[in-house]
Amino acid sequence: MKIAAVQLTQSPAGGTPRSARLARWKGSLPLLPALLFLSLFFLAPLIGLLLRGVLEPEPGLGNYETLFANSAYARVLFNTFAVAGLVTLISLLLGFPLAWAITLAPRGWGRWLLSIVLLSMWTSLLARTYSWLVLLQASGVINKALMAMGLIDQPLEMVHNLTGVVIGMSYIMIPFIVLPLQATMSAIDPMVLQAGSICGASPWRNFFRVFLPLCRPGLFSGGLMVFVMSLGYYVTPALLGGAQNMMLPEFIVQQVQSFLNWGLASAAAALLIAITLLLFYAYLKLQPESPVASSTAR
Amino acid sequence: MLLSPNAMGPRLRVGLYLTTGAIAAFLLLPIVFIVLLSFGSSQWLVFPPPGWTLKWYEQFFANVEWMESAYTSLKVALLTTLCAVALGLPSAFALVRGRFPGRELLYALFTLPMIVPLVIIAVAIYALFLKLGYTGTLFAFVVSHVIVALPFTIISIINSLKLFDQSIEDAAVICGASRLQAVIKVTFPAIRPGMVAGALFAFLVSWDEVVLSVMMASPSLQTLPVKMWTTLRQDLTPVIAVASTLLIALSILIMLIAAALRRRNEPSA
Repeated sequence: MKIAAVQLTQSPAGGTPRSARLARWKGSLPLLPALLFLSLFFLAPLIGLLLRGVLEPEPGLGNYETLFANSAYARVLFNTFAVAGLVTLISLLLGFPLAWAITLAPRGWGRWLLSIVLLSMWTSLLARTYSWLVLLQASGVINKALMAMGLIDQPLEMVHNLTGVVIGMSYIMIPFIVLPLQATMSAIDPMVLQAGSICGASPWRNFFRVFLPLCRPGLFSGGLMVFVMSLGYYVTPALLGGAQNMMLPEFIVQQVQSFLNWGLASAAAALLIAITLLLFYAYLKLQPESPVASSTAR
Repeated sequence: MLLSPNAMGPRLRVGLYLTTGAIAAFLLLPIVFIVLLSFGSSQWLVFPPPGWTLKWYEQFFANVEWMESAYTSLKVALLTTLCAVALGLPSAFALVRGRFPGRELLYALFTLPMIVPLVIIAVAIYALFLKLGYTGTLFAFVVSHVIVALPFTIISIINSLKLFDQSIEDAAVICGASRLQAVIKVTFPAIRPGMVAGALFAFLVSWDEVVLSVMMASPSLQTLPVKMWTTLRQDLTPVIAVASTLLIALSILIMLIAAALRRRNEPSA
């Protein structure tokens, strides 16, 4: 069926007036199945969900008022942004040296490092989160090692709180920083840095005034992407976090599953979508071009 | 000089290499740890384990629930891959070759499921399927997984289709092939790397999907990640380490396949 659809795109438009009008849409037919599928199972349910926020339990903006007026809910919003911000910062700090080393390491070593990054990215999310749960628990390896080294007397509480969430999520986000950043770095012309040092810049000055600014596109797009992803993350916070300090995605699921409060869940979802799309729009503005735009001048 | 290790000065170089080693170790730590743990004999996940054993693997393979959930996962992932490619392939052709208004907007729509937080997609489709009574069915799993797998498939196919010179396909038509023959015999083989990558992505997305699956699952029908999720919330039994290890092995396998395909296509590219 899909092949027939492909063929239809390519067949020349007929000469009747109706097909002349339709000629504008030439080649759009193969999109139809996927478009229908997404409208039915993605767009319609999404719009339906967002409508519930202003319709249930009664029409109006009551759910939004509740969301912003209740201090416990405000705390959830604060947690979401604080965790996403911290995770972005940590994964940038850890991802930067890694991307740098991959860029300048001899080819073989660079490949190995890149494979490690890809392996960690492609490994099951649940497997990695479970591993952190075991590693970070009170009787876990990390606490034992720290105690054996005499750094701490009592086990640190590193799971079922925001500390665990930040550790686990920073770990997961590092590859999403390394990959775009490494691409940016490998495109930098080494001559520019040489020019900097010939002109008398100290290595430090060269780093901060030449190298770092040249890395900015990669840092920006990677960082923004990680921030957006962190805002909407559910699995890791749900497993490594505690019941006390929730983030927005957990809050939405809890409202739906435990309290059947679809109105409030939907208002929170609308907020999360609005923030996500706004930030993603900023991300797109940082990108040079959209993948389908190249053939048509805008 | 900051991009050449030899010219960067010994202190900075050693510092960077040490930091890199530490971060690489950090990335590997949970993966290696979980694999070792799955062979450890301690029920309480003591590390280093007091002894080595395969009993958790025996428990995993002997347990009907784990086996059934793995089978469901495989079924869902294969069906998702099939649907994602069947829907994604024609869409990619239309988006790359069509000259109709609103293509940019449609492209944005097709990538939207990648951007909207998964939790929200899950809750929205859960609400719909709850009303229709579809939760806990294979259909619900596949449909929800296709939504999030589709963007990956479409993007991979678009990327390789854009690299393909359409005049080669036109040449085949001039030489007497029908357009359909030309597409199947000339274009498909040329864009195969993109199609395979798209299929692999779809498979992995579905295989590893947690949030949507947890919403769609019923006690009688669940995928491997759902079974892991529900077990995890009760206790941290080493059997989960076994399931994790098998998942990691599968990821490595798929990575190797992808790498082999890339290598095979490099010389011709």
